[in-house]
Amino acid sequence: MKRLAGIIKQAMKAVTAYKVRSFFCLISVALGISSIAIIVAATEGAYKRAFDMVGRFGPDSLLVVGGSEESRAIGRQRKTIKLAYVEAVRQAFPTAYVVVPMTFVGDTVVSYKNKKHQTRVIGSTADYSRAWTWPVIQGSDLVEEDIKGLRNVGLIGQELSRELFGEMDPVGKYILVRRIPVQVVGVLAERGITGAGHKLDNRIVLPITTVMRKLVNETQYITAFRVRFLDQANLKAHEKELRLFLRQEMGAPDDEPDPFRIISPTAIIKFLVALSGSLIAFIGIAGIICLIVAGFVLANLFLLSVKERTKEIGIRRAIGARRRDILVQFLGESVIVTTLGGMVGFVLAIFGSRLLTYIAEFPMHFSWKAFAMGMGLSWIVGITAGMQPASRAAQTEPIEAIRE
Amino acid sequence: MPLCRMENVTKTYHLGNQAVEALRGVSLEIEQGEFVAIIGASGSGKTTLMNIIGCLDVPTSGHYTLAGREVSNLTDDDLSLIRNEHIGFVFQSFYLIHYATVFENVLLPTLYAHRGTDEATKRASGLLELVGLKERAKFKPNQLSGGEQQRVAIARALINDPELVLADEPTGQLDSKTATEIMKILAGMNDEGKTVAIITHDASIASYARRTIRMEDGLIV
Repeated sequence: MKRLAGIIKQAMKAVTAYKVRSFFCLISVALGISSIAIIVAATEGAYKRAFDMVGRFGPDSLLVVGGSEESRAIGRQRKTIKLAYVEAVRQAFPTAYVVVPMTFVGDTVVSYKNKKHQTRVIGSTADYSRAWTWPVIQGSDLVEEDIKGLRNVGLIGQELSRELFGEMDPVGKYILVRRIPVQVVGVLAERGITGAGHKLDNRIVLPITTVMRKLVNETQYITAFRVRFLDQANLKAHEKELRLFLRQEMGAPDDEPDPFRIISPTAIIKFLVALSGSLIAFIGIAGIICLIVAGFVLANLFLLSVKERTKEIGIRRAIGARRRDILVQFLGESVIVTTLGGMVGFVLAIFGSRLLTYIAEFPMHFSWKAFAMGMGLSWIVGITAGMQPASRAAQTEPIEAIRE
Repeated sequence: MPLCRMENVTKTYHLGNQAVEALRGVSLEIEQGEFVAIIGASGSGKTTLMNIIGCLDVPTSGHYTLAGREVSNLTDDDLSLIRNEHIGFVFQSFYLIHYATVFENVLLPTLYAHRGTDEATKRASGLLELVGLKERAKFKPNQLSGGEQQRVAIARALINDPELVLADEPTGQLDSKTATEIMKILAGMNDEGKTVAIITHDASIASYARRTIRMEDGLIV
């Protein structure tokens, strides 16, 4: 042990003595490791965000949106979901503890005094907060009487609140939604953006009856509805059943695609992972190439160094170093350099990911995993690339090396 | 029992298809406490002889015992250990590790030693004092003169307290005044009982030794 510690100490001295060699090896390893660490952080970030979103969406929830996949793609949201289905679903699925309709009106201008902001209007039933797992942090939620009475009351999102009221408390104030005066009764918690980049905090939530009758003059159709199941484990089965049930209700012919879409937690995860996937793949390939190049740089510089240090190896052998002592020293030098490279790479990765988050709002999450992965890889590079030069050094014959 | 005992040792090198007989049957004994000079022209086989005495190489045939131990068929690791414990080397070009301090260079053999190294630092200071370089302990080798570097090498050769000090042209790169100083240190070591063997082609250097072994064409003459 003492011998090993002594040899490693010699290796450290050599690393600091051969500065140029160490520097180039260190930098090339650092670049590779930093991109790998960024990937790990980005993957973790994407998953973390996906699970956060699923958590907010509700892991036991399905969202049914009107209009087929194609009509959505060409930008025409056909109305296909009737309010009546909501009650039918509630009857047909005994484990569905929440079945709530929602109607959506985009690009609506709301104003408070002389301030205006373009927002989206959501029509909801009572207990919006519970149905959408979205806390009301000021004031109170919509209640049953608001819905029945078609009252002009609303909940507003954080962004809308900031735009119209600034630092003021909006609860109790009246705002105009397309010339209809609405009293703000509550403010929703901050929620950020969706995977697709929609700002969730720019919205106003009104009783669904108020929206349908007073705002869009609609009696039958709604935009979407949400179902939450008590038996979360059967969510996949419920999704299938719900599809068949709705096709039947709508009387969709067998050869036609679904005139609606069901959004599930797994669909959200898939979408987010696919979104991060391309960037991760790109940085990943770059990182692996960097590491391979770093390995070659290191192997070559070390081989040169071994040749240059033949006499040093010879004298060490003459005074009693065994072949494996020499091997350990040179392998040690290589691993020390790559370990330092790995650490520098990790620091670079932290700065690099700040930049990525800043320019592309890319979710990043650094944990011990990214660090462990970086360290592990830098050791692998150190050992594999350092092995050949080190065994070349160990094979040096002392009488050859110290020949005058 | 002699410290070194060679019986009819030969050494043949192969250069391509050509066999070169560097030693052609050498028998030799060196007693404990002797001061021997091995002298000869280049190509006489004196370097090969030194390599075998120093366990840097093994004979092609014949027997060599060092401190009572047959060396001819030992493994590479065993040879390393023997060099470490029984032999102190001094070379013409000093061969100090340039990125280590004087003190660390003196300590280097203890790194590869099996026996305890607890007193090593104390002994290293003592040896540096002996060769007159105590104040230079923290210097790097390239901050020293040639003579000083060779004195560091001598201290390094003595750190594991070997039975035999083997010096290969120890004064080859030094001026005559410095050479005299180095030879006086080696002679002083011998006076204190250390066995010393020097390899040289210089008769005036060889004259410090009590016995001269002359090599010619792979044989002792």
